[in-house]
Order: sequence, then structure tokens, then C-alpha cells
Amino acid sequence: MSRKSSMSIALARVVVLAVLTSLSVRRTFAADNGSPWGANYFPNVPLVTQDGKTVHFYADLLKGKMVVINFIYTKCRDSCPMETAKLAQVQRLLGDRVGRDVFFYSISIDPERETPAELKEYADKFHVKPGWLFLTGEQSDIEVVRKKLGQAARPGENGLTGHSTSVTLGNEETGQWMQDSALDDPSYMAVMIGDWLSSWGHQSPAPSYAEAHTVDADRGSYLFRTRCAACHTIGHGDGVGPDLFGVSRFRDHDWLARFIATPDKMVADGDPVATSLYAKYKQVQMPNLRLGDPDVAALIRYLDAQTAKTRTSARSAGQRLPEN
Amino acid sequence: MKSRIYLPWNSSKTRLKEAEDARKNRLEIVQALSWGQISRRELIKWGLFTAAGALAPIKGLNPFISSAYAEVPTGAPSSPGLIGLEFTQPMLRLEVLPRNPISSLNPAPMAQSNQTLQRVDPMLGGSFGPIEGRPPGPNWAHQRFAKLPPKVAMEVTQEGAKTNPNGNIPFKFHPSLPAQGPLAMWTFNGTIPPKLVLGRYGEPILFRHHNKLPVDVKKNGGFGCHTISTHEHNGHHGAENDGYTGAFFFPGQFYDYHWPIILAGHDTINADATDPMAGSPDDSGGYTKIPGDWHETMSSHWFHDHMFGYTAQNVYKGNAACFNIYSAVDRGNETIRDGVNLGLPSGSEKSWGNLDYDINLMVADKAWDSNGQLFFDIFQLDGFLGDVMTVNACYKPFFQVEARKYRFRILNCSVSRFFKLALSDGSPMIQIGNDGNLLPHPVVLRELDEQGIAERYDVVIDFSRYKPGQKVWMVNLCEHEDGRGPKNDLSLAEALSGNSADPCVGKFLEFQIVPCTKPDLSQVPGTLIPNPDVSQIPVSRERTFEFGRSNGTDDAPWTVRTDGGQGFAADFNQVSAAPKQGTREVWTLVNGGGGWDHPIHIHFEESLLLARNGSPSNVPPWEQGRKDVYRLHPGGAVTISIQFREFAGMFMEHCHNTVHEDHAMLIRWELDRGPVALPTPVPTPQGVKFTDPNILPTAY
Repeated sequence: MSRKSSMSIALARVVVLAVLTSLSVRRTFAADNGSPWGANYFPNVPLVTQDGKTVHFYADLLKGKMVVINFIYTKCRDSCPMETAKLAQVQRLLGDRVGRDVFFYSISIDPERETPAELKEYADKFHVKPGWLFLTGEQSDIEVVRKKLGQAARPGENGLTGHSTSVTLGNEETGQWMQDSALDDPSYMAVMIGDWLSSWGHQSPAPSYAEAHTVDADRGSYLFRTRCAACHTIGHGDGVGPDLFGVSRFRDHDWLARFIATPDKMVADGDPVATSLYAKYKQVQMPNLRLGDPDVAALIRYLDAQTAKTRTSARSAGQRLPEN
Repeated sequence: MKSRIYLPWNSSKTRLKEAEDARKNRLEIVQALSWGQISRRELIKWGLFTAAGALAPIKGLNPFISSAYAEVPTGAPSSPGLIGLEFTQPMLRLEVLPRNPISSLNPAPMAQSNQTLQRVDPMLGGSFGPIEGRPPGPNWAHQRFAKLPPKVAMEVTQEGAKTNPNGNIPFKFHPSLPAQGPLAMWTFNGTIPPKLVLGRYGEPILFRHHNKLPVDVKKNGGFGCHTISTHEHNGHHGAENDGYTGAFFFPGQFYDYHWPIILAGHDTINADATDPMAGSPDDSGGYTKIPGDWHETMSSHWFHDHMFGYTAQNVYKGNAACFNIYSAVDRGNETIRDGVNLGLPSGSEKSWGNLDYDINLMVADKAWDSNGQLFFDIFQLDGFLGDVMTVNACYKPFFQVEARKYRFRILNCSVSRFFKLALSDGSPMIQIGNDGNLLPHPVVLRELDEQGIAERYDVVIDFSRYKPGQKVWMVNLCEHEDGRGPKNDLSLAEALSGNSADPCVGKFLEFQIVPCTKPDLSQVPGTLIPNPDVSQIPVSRERTFEFGRSNGTDDAPWTVRTDGGQGFAADFNQVSAAPKQGTREVWTLVNGGGGWDHPIHIHFEESLLLARNGSPSNVPPWEQGRKDVYRLHPGGAVTISIQFREFAGMFMEHCHNTVHEDHAMLIRWELDRGPVALPTPVPTPQGVKFTDPNILPTAY
């Protein structure tokens, strides 16, 4: 290092220290709860919402709130759509608490390319309700946020496809912070954020010992609940993706099996049905769930069985069934 | 790859100060920037910021590039106040918990959870809730409570740090350091030394654990959770007593843990209790024969918190204690020669459980803040490292030893740090146990293997080769630069040189040799406990669990993938495997993530290591016994044989780097009699509710 530059650094240090000294008197942002994880820890960087509004990370998004934070990019064709769909389930489970005392934030890790308008379009695809912000901003600001939440990309990792599927659950007011996977059971995540992190002041309804039951290990039912239910119903209308009532009757079996196994490839290869579905459902790419043949077969069997069951119960209730 | 370098421990005070200043500056600049009080342009002008938007790597000012000055392993300034304190305080011995009659417990223990109601503090939602936090009903009743009724009661609290009334011991890592406040550390009975349970096979213990932590979640000193679940690592007990991660209890409640302490194979091997090798020591030098396979005898356990999402914080905060189990074979008496007792170093005054020459060492790295209070960074998700070595909650203590043989039960109870131990003069140690199980044959080593979190190595050191007045030190050779796994195992000379940037490398325990008070009659026989013979037991199922990187582009580092299915993070509502009662399975544990290491712990029964990376010849002699924690090594795989006997319920398997565990490297497996999964408990202060479990298709 040259003598000149080391001098300028020394000078800069003096200047910085002077600025900081002047800051320390003006520092009114100390956490008032005694938690080290408050204003002195979290950066108050500006971020921009899907509606184009500028907000500050600590003061506007965290302070005094319970939060669910994950990192996404809208062009992700893999885990992000699944994460977003799962978090949308969590949002539905928490009901009107989201926007009142619980807030969801999905922060773009591709902020230089993603505009608020794109984020808004993305949020709409997943039927996101109020209380959930999709945020972009300056790359360096977002990196500070990721770093502070322990979610920074690791050296050597691809910044986009290598991002973590972690979701941070926190209560800024009490200083409690937990990590979970955004791909886990939504009902469980709803209990963690809604009950545990609110000091059990709120409790989700759950069965007592006498009401709870053991569960059959049905492969298809398990796969549907964990992989499909975030976006699809069977006879209860469209979600992010189509209602799957009777799907195995009006789609060719081989086509259906191929689509469940490799939806990404079918769209990429220009399969006419796959591409029309892709267009119809707002270009949300169904992720490749990496299901093996036995899994696909179990799912199709489950869809058949559920269709038959729904048909029977609907008939006995005199309801009209969806026509395909 | 960025380099992350520690500040050498022998740095000058000026340099330490400079580092701390740099660190503060960094934080304040980032903050000032984030609050819009300094513009980026100004920083670029000053040379502190690059045009690309990152703080330049100058004296620790860059939040993304670690610097030579600021980044000690904690990610915080060095723990202050230690200069000149090495080896100036005697090591505390663990405090033995009193053994009380069952009649001392009020209310009396019950098979099912005691659901008597009491008032709940408004901070926990008010109203009324049960006095016991154990989930209610038959599924959570103590299994075999009538057949194996508790005979000894131990009653403890979990509470904030305070002076120990027994001996008036202040809660300090060193007499010259500040006392820990009641929010900084939460330990058994709120005191140090850490606690020790002495138990015997065939003598069930009722361990009543009262939660006296603050009702206000905010009163945690920055980390730790006031709900707890106590795991007796690796007890052969019913799942209701295993400290299941989702069966936690609240401030104001207790939880009755029933530890029957039976030999595995109790129902099928030596069921009529005729084998003279299987026995429970009595109080008059003999022993009573008990059922079960004596080859499954365990010796050195520990117990600790297992709270979902908070295990690392709570264990680090002090929820950890040791449990020595005594048997006819491993009697804790070095002079009885009856053809069964091994006579390992211990003492001879009592018929069993002598601790004169049998020493528990709880080794852990810690860190503290500028006020000397325990520090933890809850956002350090790679794994948290401390910069201060402690043994039995003492900063680098000394310990006086007679010039004779000693047994040390060494526990790695850190959060993310691996150790590798040697003596400072390179002289041999005799490893007799791994994970608390005596090996088939002792192994003489000049350096022990790496010791992962929760692993227990029992070693015998013969100090008779030294003269009174001499000193020898225990040395850590394993160097870390972050919490993902060890960076390097140094040579003894390198570790002693003081050149390592890792402040936890080097000497950490000083042995001061003093004369023998009486002749050493202890021995280390050439055969200890042979392995159980599983050759005739068919393998009913093989399973593979992959820890780490899960699904292609999903880099979430800490997930567990079962039998090639999708990688899932911790969700204790999800059953990943359901072996059948009375069977044997072969499990392969694979480390799927490059560069990381994971010490994997499987609850309930000890396993035999069949292979490392597919080959039996890769299993070193000191791992040729029974284990319950398996270091996978980066890119490595371990194949084990595990049996499922006697008890049922929901158990776990997880990474014991507890930061990884809390960040979801944990799965549930369930042992029951049929293809059903139990409802998952959802504790609340007003009583436990339940939810339907999710079952992975691979479970059955």
C-alpha cells in the first residue's frame, strides 16, 4: 500500500469517527426492549415494495412486528414458486392476522433486474393477500439484509440458483428469531409464527389428545398434501394451478404421468397442452418435484380415488360437479 | 474463497483494541449508511467503499470480506479480560446430584402426565394449565412404569445463574472475571459446577425437572428460549422420556423423566437374569444379576436441552450435565476383583461410583461480551464458535493429579466446534470408551481422533511416568475458521507454537502432578466389553439418510433426505422412518454437502459401525465398539447396524452441530407396533394439543 493511500485511509478513519461521534448523540434508534437484535443490529436500508413505495427495513418492516422473511427471484423455475405457494398457505392459515400483527416479506435476490411491477405481477399469480410485501432495492442493501439474517450466499455458490430455501421467523419486539424451511408443512409454520412467537397469547385451534388420531401411511395422500396442495385442489376450484378433479379422465394417462414427472421439460419442449396451461395459469411454472415413477403412480391413484370420493359425497349432497 | 483469520491470542493489547475499534467502526458505518446518515458517495470518496458497492477490506470495515483484524470466530470482538488468567484456577469437579427417596417427591410421580391445573402467568396467556408439561394420555405414559418403578428421585430446576449455596461458589468462569447474570446463563439449579447424576443399571431414576426460567420471553439476555425439553443422551428409555424436541415444557411446569436404566435386549437376551456379567452394583461390594445383554452396557452419558429451534442456544447457555452409569462390569471401584468388575481407575472407598480417579471433563468453547456476560450470535447460521476454552465451566483451569492412572470421561459439549486432543509431551493415552461405551479392546493413542459435538471419549492417562511437581497439559489440535467443520488438524508442535489464528487451539487444561496417597491398584484389562453378536439377526430393512445439500438447485445446506426422496428440513410433525419393534436395520448416513462436517446423533439404541465410505477396513480401532454419534467427514458416509427393542414412540435423528440441528437438520423416526404414526404434540402453557402427523412415503 502506498504511503499516500494509507494516509488517506487514516484521514478517512478520522472523518468517519468524527461522523460517528456526531451520530452517537443523535442515535435514537436503540432497541428499547434490551434485545441485542433490534435497531442496533438490523440495517435500516431502503427497499421498494411491489407498489413502488419506499420503505425502510428496520423502522418500517421489523420494528415491533412479527415477521416471516424469505428471499426469492421471480424468474426462479424451481424452489421459489413452491416456497411462495407454501407461504401463501401459511398466510391463509393465519387469516387476518397477516397485515395486523404478522407481516410477510419476500425479498428479491435479483434486484437489479426485478422491478416493483414484476414483483406485483408475481404476487398476484399466487393470490397473495395484503400484509405480504414483495421487495426489491439496491443490490448492496439487500446483501446487507441477507448477511444480517444469516442468509448471505456462500463463497462459490451461485447467487441465484444457489440461494437458500430458509425462511426466517421472528418477533422483533421479543427478540426471538427462528429458522425454518419454506418447503415444510405450512400448518406447522403457522403454529410457530402465530403461536410460539406470540408467547402463546394466540393459539391455533388443534385437537385434544382424545380428538387426535393416528394417520395411515398412504403414499399418494402424503405426496398430495406435501407437494401439490399448495397450488391445487381436488374439486374445490382453481388455485395457483388448475383444479385436479377428474384430471386422469380427461388427460391421457401417459401424458399426465410425464407432466407430473417433468413439467418443466414439457413446457420447454413446446408440448401444446403444457404450454397452453402455462399461459392460462399466468406463466407460473410448476416445479419439477423430482418424483420417481412409483410416486407419480401413487399420485395418479390418489387423484382418482379422491375424485370418486368427492363425486359420491357431492352427489349425496345434491351439488353440481365441475364439468371438464 | 474468502479467508477468515482469527486474531492471534497473543496479540498485543494495542492490536486487540484496534481490532475492537475496527469492528465497532464497521458496524457503525454499516448502520450509519443504512440510516442514510453517510452517503455511499462520501464513503467511496474516502476510499472505504468500492464503486461496486462493497466496503473495502480495510481493517475490518467490510461486512462481506472478513478481515485480519475484526473477525474472531464469534463474529464479535474477542472475549475480554483473559490475559494472565491461564491455569491460575483449580478446575471444578462436577456437582453430584443428591439421590433422594421417591417419597420425597410431592406430588408423587404418575405413569401418565399429571394434568392437575394451576394458574398460568398472564405473560404466557393466563388462564389455567397443567402442572406437568409432559403430553397427556396413554401414548405419553411412562412405559413399564409398574414393572420398572422408580427407586431414586432426583429433583432439579432450570434457572438463571446465581451463587451456589453448596460451597458458596460464585457463577464465574474464573474468579477474576465478572459473575454471570441470571439472564446470561441458565443451568441446572442455576449454579456451577455443572451437575452429575450417578446411576446404576437396574435402579430406575425419576428425574423431576422444574422449569424456573423467566416467564417473559424477552428476559433471555439476547439468546435462549425459556421452554425446554430434556434429552438423556443416549438413554434406552421410552420416547416420553427422551426429551422429544416437540414435547417441551413451560416456566412454572415440571416434567417427570423416567429413566429405567435397563440393558438393551432386556426382553430377549438373558431374560431370566442368569448371566453373571449382567449386574447392578449393590452397596456392599457385590452385585445383583439383571436381565439383558451385558454387551450393551453403557457408561458415560450426558443430558441436555432439545428444544425445537433453540437447542444450540439453550445448551450453550448451560443446559447440559453428565450422567455416569454403573454396572457389574464398570463398577466405579478399582479394587474389587470378582471376575466381572474391570477395575478401571476410580477409587475404592465406596462399593461403586468412586470419583477420586474418575473425572468428568465437559469441554466447551464460549465467548462473552464487553461486560463479561455470555455471548451468542443467533444469526451465525454456519455454526457458532466461541473463542475461549472452558472445562467444567472454568476458563483454562489446572487440575492436581496424583502420579497414577486416571480415567477421564471427556465430553465435547460445544455448539459447533470439533476438538482433537493430545498431551503436551506427546505421551500416550489409552482410549477405553467411545460415546460412553467401553470398547472391546483399549486403544493406545498419542493423539485422539477428532471429537465431534456430543461425542464422549473415555481415556485413561497414566501420570506415574511424571514426578511430583511436573506439569503436563491437555492440548487441542483441531483448528476451525468457521462453524461448518474443522479446517485443519495441526501437529502437536504447531498447536503448541501459538501460531494458530484460532484462539481455542493449544493448551487448555494443566495437570499438576502430586505424590500418590496410596498404591494404584486400578487396571486397564486387554478386553473390556466385546460387541454384541448381531450376526444371527436378519437385517429387515436398509435405509439411507443424506445430510446436507438436498435437491439439485436447492442449496439449503441442512436438510435430511430419506432414501433418495426429497430433502426435508426439520418438521417434527413428519415421520421419516418407522422401523419395526424387535428388528435390526442397516442405515447409511451420507454427508451430501461439500466442505461441511456433521456429527449425526441417532437416539435410542447404540449402533455398531459396519463401514466408513463403504468399507469395514476404514473403521478405526477406536470406533469398533458401539456409538451414538457419527462424524461423517466432508463427503463421507457411515454404515451402521441398529436394533429397536423394548420401548416405542417418536425418536429423532439429527446433526449434533446444534446450530445445524436448529436450522432444520433433524428428522423424526417412529418406533411402534403397527403402521400408524402417533399424533404430534403441540405444547401450550394451557395444555398440550395434538396434530396429525405427516408421514414420508419411505417411513414403512
